[in-house]
Amino acid sequence: MTGSHMRNRPSGFFNPWFQLTLNVLGVVTYELLLKAGATDTARFSEAWAWTGITGLASPLTWLAMGLMMLDLVIWLYVLKHIPLSIAFPLSRLVDVLVPIACWIILKEGISPLRWCGIALVIIGLAIVAKPAARLGERL
Amino acid sequence: MTWPALILILIWLVTFVAGQLFFKRAMELLGPSGVRNRKTMSILGAGIFSMTISFFLNLGLLQRFDLSYLYPFQGLSVIIITVAAAVVLHEKLTLRLTIGAILITLGVALVSTT
Repeated sequence: MTGSHMRNRPSGFFNPWFQLTLNVLGVVTYELLLKAGATDTARFSEAWAWTGITGLASPLTWLAMGLMMLDLVIWLYVLKHIPLSIAFPLSRLVDVLVPIACWIILKEGISPLRWCGIALVIIGLAIVAKPAARLGERL
Repeated sequence: MTWPALILILIWLVTFVAGQLFFKRAMELLGPSGVRNRKTMSILGAGIFSMTISFFLNLGLLQRFDLSYLYPFQGLSVIIITVAAAVVLHEKLTLRLTIGAILITLGVALVSTT
């Protein structure tokens, strides 16, 4: 965790924590695109549907895949600087942002139980963020 | 849920977790100067292969189930990856980190309730 290469930590745009945030926003966007692409193509070939390959018929799926490639590069960069056991739990900020985005943008309702889930994830994120902050100081 | 669906979800989970571990290992090997060698590239390739399978399985599952239905399984990946990173990659796993990961897992499962 304390590799010598971390001494010259990139700052500003190339700060790993900023890149992790970018990664999360990218995931939120492509998850929504993937769902839209999959729904569009669900009526195609029953025989091949289980592989998910029919999803390629939708341009939304291709857009999502392009975004995934970009996000993968960002994610690899994040992993180069942050331990997986910290970066991955933090990346699940996605699970807070997706329902809230649906609530605000799509005016979808959120049940009390779902709000509890969102609260739990936020508490979990805060707990994980503490060692992450300490790691940030050490970097 | 039928058993083939459960098996597909399980394979999806395993390929996803394996992919993340391959990625992290490859990035560890990449080192400070970013020197590319055959071993690093094969591990990165294994990660991309694993993630590709996971991606198409995810797409296939999304065609048949709601995203909200698949969310609890996605949540499960948090605690599995955190523990796997400690066991396989020897990352430091504190009690605090474990509790945080468990809360996130439970939270994600609750978020999926309708």
